[in-house]
Amino acid sequence: MENRPLEYDYTVAKWFMLSTIVLGIVGMLVGVILAWEMAFPAVNTIAGSGLAEYTNFSRLRPLHTDAVIFGFTLSGIFSTWYYIGQRVLKVSMAESKFLMFLGKLHFALYLLVVVAVVGSLLLGITTSKEYAEFEWPIDIAVVVVWVTWGMGIFGLIGIRREKSLYISIWYYIATFLGIAMLYLFNNMEIPTYFASGGIGAWYHSVSMYSGTNDALVQWWYGHNAVAFGFTVPIVAMIYYFLPKESGQAVYSYKLSLLAFWGLMFVYLWAGGHHLLFSTVPDWMQTMGSVFSVVLILPSWGSAINMLLTMKGEWQQVAASPLIKFMVLASTFYMFSTLEGPIQAIKSVNALAHFTDWIVGHVHDGTLGWVGFMIMAALFHMAPRVFKREIYSKSLMGTQFWIQTLGVVLYFTSMWIAGITQGMMWRAHDEFGNLAYSFIDTVAVLHPYFTIRAVGGTLYLVGMLLFAFNMYKTMTSSRRVEESELQNASPMGA
Amino acid sequence: MNKTVLAAIIVVIAMLGFTYVAVGSAGGMGGDGDWVNKLAVLGAVVLVIITAFVVTKYVRQMQSDTASGKLADENWDGIGEYKNELPLGWAVIFLGSVVWAIWYFLAGYPVNAYSQIGEYNEEVAAHDAKFDAQFANMDESTLNAMGESVFIVQCAPCHGLQADGMGGKAADLHQRLAEKSVKYVIMNGGNNNLLGTSMPMPDRNGLMNANTNALITDAEIDAVAKYVAGGLKGTEGASVFAGTCAACHGPDGKGMEMVAPNIAEMSPSMVDMVLHHGKKGAIGQMPAFTNLTAVQYKALDAYVASLSKK
Amino acid sequence: MFHWLEKNPFFFAVAVFVVIAFAGLIEILPNFAQASRPVIGTKPYTTLELAGRHVYIKNSCNACHSQLIRPFKSETDRYGHYSLSGEYAYDRPFLWGSKRTGPDLHRVGNYRTTDWHENHMKDPAAVVPGSIMPAYTWMFKNTADIDTAYAEQLTVMKAFAVPYNKELPMADGSKVTVALADTVEGARASALEEAKVIAVDMKDQDVKDAVAAGQVPEIVALIAYLNSLK
Repeated sequence: MENRPLEYDYTVAKWFMLSTIVLGIVGMLVGVILAWEMAFPAVNTIAGSGLAEYTNFSRLRPLHTDAVIFGFTLSGIFSTWYYIGQRVLKVSMAESKFLMFLGKLHFALYLLVVVAVVGSLLLGITTSKEYAEFEWPIDIAVVVVWVTWGMGIFGLIGIRREKSLYISIWYYIATFLGIAMLYLFNNMEIPTYFASGGIGAWYHSVSMYSGTNDALVQWWYGHNAVAFGFTVPIVAMIYYFLPKESGQAVYSYKLSLLAFWGLMFVYLWAGGHHLLFSTVPDWMQTMGSVFSVVLILPSWGSAINMLLTMKGEWQQVAASPLIKFMVLASTFYMFSTLEGPIQAIKSVNALAHFTDWIVGHVHDGTLGWVGFMIMAALFHMAPRVFKREIYSKSLMGTQFWIQTLGVVLYFTSMWIAGITQGMMWRAHDEFGNLAYSFIDTVAVLHPYFTIRAVGGTLYLVGMLLFAFNMYKTMTSSRRVEESELQNASPMGA
Repeated sequence: MNKTVLAAIIVVIAMLGFTYVAVGSAGGMGGDGDWVNKLAVLGAVVLVIITAFVVTKYVRQMQSDTASGKLADENWDGIGEYKNELPLGWAVIFLGSVVWAIWYFLAGYPVNAYSQIGEYNEEVAAHDAKFDAQFANMDESTLNAMGESVFIVQCAPCHGLQADGMGGKAADLHQRLAEKSVKYVIMNGGNNNLLGTSMPMPDRNGLMNANTNALITDAEIDAVAKYVAGGLKGTEGASVFAGTCAACHGPDGKGMEMVAPNIAEMSPSMVDMVLHHGKKGAIGQMPAFTNLTAVQYKALDAYVASLSKK
Repeated sequence: MFHWLEKNPFFFAVAVFVVIAFAGLIEILPNFAQASRPVIGTKPYTTLELAGRHVYIKNSCNACHSQLIRPFKSETDRYGHYSLSGEYAYDRPFLWGSKRTGPDLHRVGNYRTTDWHENHMKDPAAVVPGSIMPAYTWMFKNTADIDTAYAEQLTVMKAFAVPYNKELPMADGSKVTVALADTVEGARASALEEAKVIAVDMKDQDVKDAVAAGQVPEIVALIAYLNSLK
């Protein structure tokens, strides 16, 4: 480098790192509680029957999904954006007071929304639409947060020195646009208080769409919230952190290009696979199946690109737990993006839909891919942000194996549970009558629910190790010089 | 053998084992007709094998290959980019998936001809044809066995697997009438379509005891309720029954056609009426069950009627 | 072209947007053109039923229960006739759910009754041995929000022409009118009337007392809603 390196300003990235860790623990803890509740229903009243309303499965379930999606994952996305954005655009946040202000405002507003969401979901204030449970006042706040972020993105791009946008930036732009479009359309609702002239709860609203239309919009949103929350921005992360940490060049520009535009075009069509054999028109369902399968290749394109980037670098994979996280994340990404399309084939979906196999699929994507990637990103960022080495490499290794075991227990148990239950629902006996009453198909799942709860608990334990490691990294680890931060992150023993 | 390959083989075998466990605990693949089960399991198997195969391939490349290619001019924060061509296999399979997609859309589930409701109608017709023929003429034990199979799914959620009404939450089907039910009907009258027509029974204000020539009294109600619930045995309450109930329900309580139902035991036709019309009584409302086939009704009627005779 | 896009963020963003918006246009718009029409026999919810629907949503019943019977023999045997699009015409939001931890409820009104629900919501495992559903005891104490339900009825009548106070054809050829009160007081009164009918079949003395005192506990509204699912 001929120029003196830029002094990047990581203030906002740092704040979002903290919220990633805190909300991650909260969201996963709630998830673990839910898992034990399904295995042992007595856990529903663990805080006493007086508080059962707030600790029972159904009230907590949206809190879990929203805390891990909009808490953990979104914080991770924001945090990495405020880190990667500056570096690949070669411009520092410190250069623009306005962008700095926007970034801080973004974080503050985001926290406010998080508090409002947690409070309202616990009170049961929800629209019931999955991952869009928030009532209209929060929806408006979400839009404000999103626009603030968007202004930050395009502001930073506007003053960039590196004229050509790096792959990660493509994916962040897509994340911003995709979620904006989806969220706005799915949350079209009328506040009843105003429409009725001041009757009832002020925060209540009613959806603009009814029945089948509502379902169609919701799953167009729901599926693509996965696309633009769990896939696109996480791909953005791996395209930066894996080459950076390993010091390898990205395998193929062409593959990056085709995978990106392919993903953009194909993903949005696939939402219909959540509605197979429902009351939406047949052709639309078929289209959902078809595009889901075509989607395998753009998804695998990015993963293969990353695995090939590591070509000949096995010694790095073996030596660095950080790279292990990312390589395994790619693997789970491949597994998950093949599993989804297989479940979207009509005949398979007839069995898999409504069962735990779907839950397993979601979690091998979120735990194995999203979770691992975000934690790896934070591990890589920490030494650069806090100017200290990662506190403990061995702890990182321990965390890696505990969490990997957790994910494996999780998805294998749900795999068995889902296929078992799906088959039992369908089964007819020798007389042509249904072979099992519904409760038979629940009772048989008990061991698998228990294994799943153990798997989830292991993952949470890993998350706590991660938090501890990060805490030590922030506060008491060895200080490092800029020269140690070129590629492989410095790690203590 | 290479450790990675070995690991992949172990993973594949383990996952196939888990799938096998699942199929086993669900009681098998569900006969020759169920393509859904077979395809789902096939999908699961394919998923595991492909992922393991492909990932192993790339891990092998990490172990033995080296990175090469022409670097692009740009460089972002130290990250370079090769101008390598697309992996051939990936590109070919991508095109293959597009071809498959077109096939699925035009031929697999033809957009102009496929209807899921049509498919459903065929499924039901095939199912009914198969089982209706097989069970057209059942002997009594088959009839009861089939009835029990229907009972477990359709009735047990309320009446319990033992058909004992789960501690009073639903009727105990081992007896025709519980004491509480007899009293309820006498107090409130009844009209439950048990004869296939609407034939109301008056409440206590319309029930004369012929022995005393007066309206039935509280004490008499208690006595006769015990007597009926006890299966019309013994002497206590027998005279009240003879004086008040026998006129319509018959001296043996077996009812009269078009007049009053059998209150000594359940008959298949009565069970059938309850299933079709539902019933309201001392415990609450039982809804009608209109979703069974003719054979299923026949079997269930016989099975439930047999319970009260045991 | 792609290199050019990568140097021009504005056009890059436009290109991404066009590519992702495309699918939505083709998938979603056609179905809106033929907006969900009710099938014969579908009625809008009464005030109490709608309040019960809000209780259902408040407690995320849809997290574990679907309301969508797929056209398979095994589903229609278990739950009744497969679901039809028009039956959902007055469902805002839809409540199909995405997971069946418990059974489907789209036609639960056909085969379960008030007293069954009462027993079951109080202690599910006592009615269904082995059930993993939690008890919903607070529904017997909390009061249902009738006002908000009424506000929603007014809103959908105004905004979406939901046919309250209009004769609707039923499957058996009869006509039914779902009345909507003119004032919120009227709505409370009519909801209470409905609640009384339900409470007669219930055993919980606190619930009966509350209804007698002019209040509607959540459980009563919920049962009214569940009974309406046919």
